[in-house]
Amino acid sequence: MKFKLNMGAGVFTGLLVILAIGAMGNDDFKLEIPKGLKKLKIPRDNRLTLEKIQLGKQLYFDKRLSKDQTISCASCHDPNKGWSNGETFATGIDGQKGGRNSPTIINSGYQVFQFWDGRALHLEGQALGPIQNPIEMGLSLDELEKRLNGIEGYVLQFKNVFGNKPNSGDVAKAIAAFERTVLSGNSPYDQYKDGDTKALSEAAERGRRVFFNKAQCSACHAGSNFTDGAFHNIGIGFDGSSPDLGRFVETQVEGDKGSFKTPTLREIARSGPYMHDGSFKTLEAIVDYYNKGGNANPQLDEEIFELNLTDQQKKDLIVFLKEGLSSANYPTVDPPALPK
Amino acid sequence: MQKLTCLFSLFTFMIVGSWVAANEVVSETVVSGLNNPCGVAIQPKTGHVFVANSGAGTICRIENGKAVPVITDFPIDVYGKGPKYNIGPLGLAFYGDGHLVVGGGGYKDGEELLRLYEVPAVGSSIKADAMVSSMKLAPTEEIKGEGNFYAVAVAGDSVFVSCNGDDTKGWVSKATIKDGKFSGYARNIATKEAVEVDAPVGLTIDPKNGHIVVGQMGEITVPGDGLLTFYSAGNGEMLANFETGLSDITSVAYDTKSYQMYALDFNWIDTKAGGLYHLTKATVDGEPGVECTKVMALDKATAMVIASDGHAYVTVIGTAEGDQLGGKLLKIKLPEIE
Ligand code: HEC
Ligand code: HEC
Repeated sequence: MKFKLNMGAGVFTGLLVILAIGAMGNDDFKLEIPKGLKKLKIPRDNRLTLEKIQLGKQLYFDKRLSKDQTISCASCHDPNKGWSNGETFATGIDGQKGGRNSPTIINSGYQVFQFWDGRALHLEGQALGPIQNPIEMGLSLDELEKRLNGIEGYVLQFKNVFGNKPNSGDVAKAIAAFERTVLSGNSPYDQYKDGDTKALSEAAERGRRVFFNKAQCSACHAGSNFTDGAFHNIGIGFDGSSPDLGRFVETQVEGDKGSFKTPTLREIARSGPYMHDGSFKTLEAIVDYYNKGGNANPQLDEEIFELNLTDQQKKDLIVFLKEGLSSANYPTVDPPALPK
Repeated sequence: MQKLTCLFSLFTFMIVGSWVAANEVVSETVVSGLNNPCGVAIQPKTGHVFVANSGAGTICRIENGKAVPVITDFPIDVYGKGPKYNIGPLGLAFYGDGHLVVGGGGYKDGEELLRLYEVPAVGSSIKADAMVSSMKLAPTEEIKGEGNFYAVAVAGDSVFVSCNGDDTKGWVSKATIKDGKFSGYARNIATKEAVEVDAPVGLTIDPKNGHIVVGQMGEITVPGDGLLTFYSAGNGEMLANFETGLSDITSVAYDTKSYQMYALDFNWIDTKAGGLYHLTKATVDGEPGVECTKVMALDKATAMVIASDGHAYVTVIGTAEGDQLGGKLLKIKLPEIE
């Protein structure tokens, strides 16, 4: 009941905003980049405007984008769960489960390759995938367009933002625009790097040294978003009988067997369970896994080997991951009111 | 970025199309049947071309269209997880006329050697272990040992080496030569900390100002992430860094006469798209940048040196046909630049 009330109020303010913009034209939105992150490249054909971001946010939270109206993007990439969703394998429509863990979408605007296997490029190229995926949201693009064209609030907003009726291409653009605003930076690590030597606790600072040196983590979790954007086989699933071959399925290149995209480690304390198959529940277990040198297999990356970390080094490393990479400005977003 | 690069390469492709017609690129095969050649250098006074026939574990002098082994029996290792390449000696550079510096790739990281040889006289050969001097970069408690000394460049008594051991730092290391021997070898520039992208591979010295020029390969699984970076030879400070849109830069070299820069793109995930590029200054998105114009397609190009007469000597791994190994040394007449 409360939700409905909120929705009503939202449509009202939404309309006001639209009217105001109608007079002003949609200006470029000045995206604030948190400390420590790089400038974000915005595609020329999908400039950020406040109106587009708001529309994208509504679409992101709107369950009407799924066949039976039970699932939204936020069901699997939930702001309250590290923008992932706490399940080993996320649940789509009709209680169906896929074979991969939902990654966080925090800072996903920095990635060219999307999905664990990189099968989509850029956020625009990704967004329509889950909507059509029969085990996620299960709605064809025709049905999607029909549905949105039947919702007056959306028709008005698409007209204002894109100058035309709701269509799937613009749905992808609006959602991508919203996702680009979901950023995490300005963590204790970023403040430390910026010169505030007190920003990391002593244990976290020791862990930082381990991360960037002896433990070799930054060989792959590199740069300001703690990912090299590349694909590596770190052996996950190779202790079982039929491991997911990951990137190989896309490229057919032998060396890509069992390779997955290096995920960001920002806000990692919130986004478990971890890895493409959700097989790790804790960071402690992950550090033990790396420390023993992963699961041997022919394509195991050279950077995965026995680390010989001491118990103290393992503890410190975990403190760094948990404290150092969690931001006080975690990107919290409340579900917006949805148009009718 | 991906899109930009695509557009960009389409654009450069169109330019090359018309440009090549007017200014044809002439290339000839000097030697074929090489085994993963990965280094090439020209002896200053004689003009003799030397090739690191890496997969065969030899250094060869090119004599009358033949690759004659002059330093033999280098250790060999395997690079890659499929495709896999046998590699032995990698980077080559002359120190004066009588000494050759060889970067190794056949030992394990930490045991790998940078070696200095007296150049064997024509008609004679020596074993790899008959160097006059060698150095390694062993691991420390915190830092991984170094290996795969891919490119070497000599500047006075200093030798700069691109290394591929510690992927958290991406070292360019520096050796010094004194009295015909190495007097030191140390990690010098942490390129990955400077540019946040992996793998310094191509390396040369700017002939005008002595800056170190690095072609940062980036990730082999990521297209278009290659960088061109300039560092001060004195203090290792980064002076400039440019996105190139190239995928896997293996070599950068200057045509010293025209002061033009060229680069090789191996392009690991799409080797058919690899080749030789001419790099020029450009304005990209309103900022100083680099434009890469394809001069010619090459099949897995690995190393390049440009002779004083404006010919580029390029090694390619190529594609094996039957029993015939695909490796070649090519001689490419670079187009005239006004
Ligand atoms: C049923 C759960 C589910 C729903 C609903 C869902 N996703 Fe996902 N999402 C996933 C899973 C699982 C993956 C990883 C799949 C893979 O890699 O094969 C993923 C991957 C992604 C990625 C790639 C992130 C990265 O780092 O590679 C983005 C971005 C994303 N989803 C956005 C969305 C958007 C936008 C929507 C709504 C239109 C959405 N998702 C709906 C489960 C879901
Ligand atoms: C060779 C590259 C590489 C190195 C080195 C590496 N990682 Fe990873 N990391 C990856 C890849 C790739 C994945 C995803 C693997 C998968 O799901 O199959 C991953 C996943 C993770 C995850 C799970 C993230 C998530 O959202 O599911 C954590 C946490 C992590 N790594 C921490 C570390 C730490 C700590 C170190 C150093 C001890 C380290 N990594 C070293 C490549 C690497």
